[in-house]
Amino acid sequence: MRLRPSSARRRGGEPTGGTASGVVRGRRRWGLVRFTFIGLYFLFLLLPMYWALITAFKPQEDILAQPPIWFPSDPTFSHFGSALNRLNGLTGIKNSLIVAFATTFLAVVIGAAAAYSMARFRTGGKHLAFWFLSQRLLPPVAVVLPIFLLYSRYSEEWLQVRLYDTRIGLVLLYTVFSLPWTVWMMYSYFRQMPPELEHAALVDGCSRWQALWKIAIPLAAPGVVSAAAFAFIFSWTEFLFAFLLTGTNAQTLPVLLAGYVGVFQGNLWGETAAMTLISLIPALVLGIFLQRHLVRGLTVGAVQG
Amino acid sequence: MILALSIFPLAFSLWVTFVEYDFTVGTEHPWVGLDNFRDNLNDPVWWSSVRVTAILATSAVAVELLLGLLLALAMLRSFRGRRVLMVVIVIPLFMSPVVVGGFWDLFLRRPIGPANNILGWFWPGDVAVDLTQDGIWPFVSIVMADAWQWTPFMFVILLAGLSSISSELYEAADIDGAKPRQSFFFVTLPLLAPIILVAVTFRFIDAAKLFDIIYTLTRGGPGTETYTTSYFLYYQGFERFHLGQGTAGSWMFMIMLSFIAYWLVRRLLKPVEA
Repeated sequence: MRLRPSSARRRGGEPTGGTASGVVRGRRRWGLVRFTFIGLYFLFLLLPMYWALITAFKPQEDILAQPPIWFPSDPTFSHFGSALNRLNGLTGIKNSLIVAFATTFLAVVIGAAAAYSMARFRTGGKHLAFWFLSQRLLPPVAVVLPIFLLYSRYSEEWLQVRLYDTRIGLVLLYTVFSLPWTVWMMYSYFRQMPPELEHAALVDGCSRWQALWKIAIPLAAPGVVSAAAFAFIFSWTEFLFAFLLTGTNAQTLPVLLAGYVGVFQGNLWGETAAMTLISLIPALVLGIFLQRHLVRGLTVGAVQG
Repeated sequence: MILALSIFPLAFSLWVTFVEYDFTVGTEHPWVGLDNFRDNLNDPVWWSSVRVTAILATSAVAVELLLGLLLALAMLRSFRGRRVLMVVIVIPLFMSPVVVGGFWDLFLRRPIGPANNILGWFWPGDVAVDLTQDGIWPFVSIVMADAWQWTPFMFVILLAGLSSISSELYEAADIDGAKPRQSFFFVTLPLLAPIILVAVTFRFIDAAKLFDIIYTLTRGGPGTETYTTSYFLYYQGFERFHLGQGTAGSWMFMIMLSFIAYWLVRRLLKPVEA
């Protein structure tokens, strides 16, 4: 997201399009419209967030008050406590963290190797790129049924591993699904790097692997880091697979949350809001951090990096 | 390993579509040919779910495009505090759709949400609608929740597109006597078109898979009115355990989606080749 110094485009020959005062008035009106719109959008953006925030801290009797209470007078942490302890909140957080970190690690390591070989040895050529795009098109619901059968019925029979309702099962699946992202992001970085640096390393007696780990990856660090962040976000927020492929052991946060919203309707609003806020923390941290890499990450496969 | 996880399920699911695979029936899987496909085609809910998916995806993408474009135009030139606002705007992108659904559920649902109360400020009399279940409101709510999460997506991409348009073009337009509105329609939009297409393609493909928000916000209700195709398939496969029919539906859905995607992607690649 590159920014152009402001108003460069207004500086040119203005007076042709009407009287000077007309232009000024027009511009002022545009400024007003502009900021009103930004303001309204932020109202739309922040209102539900604010409501969840205060709901998390309201005492139970205030939650249902009519008319609604916008500024809770005596905030309480009890919803956080009960969500974490009684309602599996801690297990959910633990599962989510483990799954997300393991996925990130695998997706980055495998992805780096794949991206590097695509960039330097042209592995796969154009078809591989198309495959990545096609992975994005696949609706998860379409794959989840067979994977569910595989996980729940056959994995133990055929492979002697239990995959249903385990963190390993989720990590495997998430790695496969986040690879298109990570590979593509790192690929575009590797391709921009001059190969001479690695050649120099090879001449000095490094092996290809050493050249990759010691030269290429440190140089592509921004790409690697943002790929990692995307993999993390993906596995942290994914719902459908986690929901259908876990029971009680490996439940991740989104699954847990959906359970709060759905099943116990009526008395868990405070807890829902509390867990929602907890699950937002990584999103906030990474969101701030990821700003610059957003465009590349969002349009993986379509825009040449 | 990766190949196994992505190819095997496909092959396996092909087999499942042609047998009767039903957890309630037992472990026998008699060959039933195309019956699973026919079951879907004869199911009115399948058709309504396809329609709902099309309507929701189109309207959500349209709303997001409009809001995102306006927001990008409004945020294009810098002003004080712009950096902070940028960070805040993109936050929803990093949220789980379940969380987004949760937010809006808390906000809209009677009796806990303030939405009715807020509507009451503008509407005469008492407002008492359940915005997730009554009349046309569930659709509005879903589109709103989806737009809440994904408008930033449009915004970020369009902003990048807008700021890469050279200022000289605007100056030239200005010298030629173009009014701001004219330069928007004749300079900005044509130059932005390919990027808009990218954003719309990606958004549409994702919006067509809409599931999480439905699950947390309306549960497909009232009745089956807001079943999207994804939700319908989930319902067939995991609530009624008609896995054969569900998988067959998945294939049908996938084929439909890839036609649309193919059509969009081909238009997408055209400007690159030219």
